[in-house]
Amino acid sequence: MDIFFQLLTTSLLLGGIYALMSVGLTLIFGVMRVVNFAHGEFIMLGMYLAFWGFTLYHLDPYVILLFSIPLFLAIGFLLYGMVMRGIIAASHNVQIFTTVGLSIALQNLALVLWTGDFRFVRLDYSKTVFRFWRSYVNLPQLIAFAIAAVLMLTLFALLRWTHFGKVVRATAQDREAAILMGIDPDRIHRLTFAMGITCAGVAGVLVSPLYSVYPTAGLQFVLIAYVVVVLGGLGNMIGALLGSLIVAGVEVMGSFLLGTAWKEVLYFLVFLLVLIFRPAGLLGQRGAETLGA
Amino acid sequence: MKRRALRSIRFFSMPAILMVCVGILSLKPVAGQEFEGAYKIGILEPLTGPLAFEGKRHLEGFEIAREMINEQGGVMGKRLVFAVADAPDPTAAANEVNRLVTQEGVKIIVGTYSSTLCGAASSAAARHNIIYWETSCVDPRYAQRGLKNVYRTEIDANGFAWYMVEFTAKYLAPKLGKSPDELKVAFLSEDSSYGQGTTEAARKRAKEEFQMQEVSVDYYAALTTNDFTPILLKLKQAGPDILMAIGRGNDAILFWKQAKEKDLQVQALVSAGATGYGSPDFGKALGKDANGVFALLEPGPGFKIEALSPEGQQLERGFRERVEKQAGAVYGGHQLAGAGLWLLKIVLDKAQSDDPEKFRQAVLSLDLPVGSFLNGWGVKFQENGQNAGERVQHYMLQWQDGNLVTVWPEEFTTYRMKWMPFPPWDQRQ
Repeated sequence: MDIFFQLLTTSLLLGGIYALMSVGLTLIFGVMRVVNFAHGEFIMLGMYLAFWGFTLYHLDPYVILLFSIPLFLAIGFLLYGMVMRGIIAASHNVQIFTTVGLSIALQNLALVLWTGDFRFVRLDYSKTVFRFWRSYVNLPQLIAFAIAAVLMLTLFALLRWTHFGKVVRATAQDREAAILMGIDPDRIHRLTFAMGITCAGVAGVLVSPLYSVYPTAGLQFVLIAYVVVVLGGLGNMIGALLGSLIVAGVEVMGSFLLGTAWKEVLYFLVFLLVLIFRPAGLLGQRGAETLGA
Repeated sequence: MKRRALRSIRFFSMPAILMVCVGILSLKPVAGQEFEGAYKIGILEPLTGPLAFEGKRHLEGFEIAREMINEQGGVMGKRLVFAVADAPDPTAAANEVNRLVTQEGVKIIVGTYSSTLCGAASSAAARHNIIYWETSCVDPRYAQRGLKNVYRTEIDANGFAWYMVEFTAKYLAPKLGKSPDELKVAFLSEDSSYGQGTTEAARKRAKEEFQMQEVSVDYYAALTTNDFTPILLKLKQAGPDILMAIGRGNDAILFWKQAKEKDLQVQALVSAGATGYGSPDFGKALGKDANGVFALLEPGPGFKIEALSPEGQQLERGFRERVEKQAGAVYGGHQLAGAGLWLLKIVLDKAQSDDPEKFRQAVLSLDLPVGSFLNGWGVKFQENGQNAGERVQHYMLQWQDGNLVTVWPEEFTTYRMKWMPFPPWDQRQ
């Protein structure tokens, strides 16, 4: 029975990590329908920010979190102007090529600047484990989970119930109509992109006590983030949270029962089945999957 | 007319300036030695991408060995120079081999550290009918393809497994107060050809030769495993005495960290190779928590250089001194690369030619005992181009307070193993 509780707890916590990775992508890909294959690299940059802040200035990652937000917003604005603005209205193929190029450039920039060595943020309390509900829970993982939940709910509320959220959704649904309604789509795209990048950076900072930091660290998460976003329903925050929990649960239970080699088979199988029967994702609006094509 | 002339001048001036610059830059200072020119070989290593951390160490080892080779007269009377190529993945490896042969005109290519790269690189080299000299890469299938001009100086996964099981059965088991057939062994490995090759060979030898009890086998994808909890729970259920684990990099660190969190209790962890548990990153990440873990590697601190032949001692001391000065510490990557390149020099000294037939004859004629040169290696190549396991002496190192020290075989080292069997996590020092 202990094993079952441990698996359940691990699924929840891992689901939280995956949710954290996917928040930014839900905004960029889910809402704005812009393909961004460099998503993992922004997570990696967040991890490096936490590492250097911790190593050079002895700052706790949760302190670094506070000024990572304005920093990544600035990076997001800058990159939007330099790279994304030109391809926002282009086909998905162009977006894929451009962002894959951006991803490679960022990975190798990190390699050149900081070498391929693995780096670590070793906090005194990153090894703190406490028994909760007959299972072992790691403190930084729990904090990451909590912040992921808060972030997702906040963004969900923002998109659903505020004027700004309505404006963002309108721009995603129909650019021309939005322009006619007096919305400046360029401004909205820039803001949303920057917010998405900031979420990725924040995710990186939060997981830095848990995983090694190295130039290709983003690759661990980016594919899962895409699966989560599409599985949950493009543009739906609660859907993304649900998707993360499902992917994590399938991964953890499947690894235990069948062996770790099967984990990707299992969650991709679930992914395929959901898309066959609910093409818009679990909580997506029917027909919404064709937007932005 | 004047405008057109000006435009032509502007058009050609940039390339002209560039050509002059290239011309100036290609003038190399004359070396102090009396060489009849330079002999170029190709060096293929992953210098970017996920394997770069080890590829760069290999390159460093090659460079230092090259310095030493050139101080001793170079190869075939010529100064040894490199054409370095970057191979972050198998496709790039094959492309770079083609480029090195067709554009740089090399007849020998040395590389490539990774089991995932050497297959592609050596196949490409074989198609050009040039010599491929592998200094690392442990995929057992490498030597089974019947390629005449493809060689490997390091033992393969079968050799690694042989030494891992040898250590466990003949040295560790008695120290734990058990006979080999009483040991419960679990295998955990990353799923590339490196991990699979070593683990399958280890399972075979453990079961067939020593009747060890296998309680669990698990493979995982190193790059995409974010949480080892399911595996840890399975291992706790299986209750092994010894865990034979092969890691790739980050996965080893994550696994052992989570093993502590989830309180997995084993008597010992035995691994092989300079990646994963044997990587310096493992010690840096885990500090004291890494203590006690074993890794099969090239000789580290405690290595009794006096156990080598006089020539071997001189080489070993010289090599270590230079590597320490340049890189701060001697790592497995340096040692494999250095010994591999030195062995190439020995072959070329004997063959005095890079003609594949003459080269092959020279390779097969070598027969030096253990302790003859770098790393305490000897040499004797088999027909399939593989350097024999018994000559390529390997050593078991143990993490002790942030350093990997040599603990086995006892006759080659001053250190002894500690903390066996592992006490409970909260009692470990």
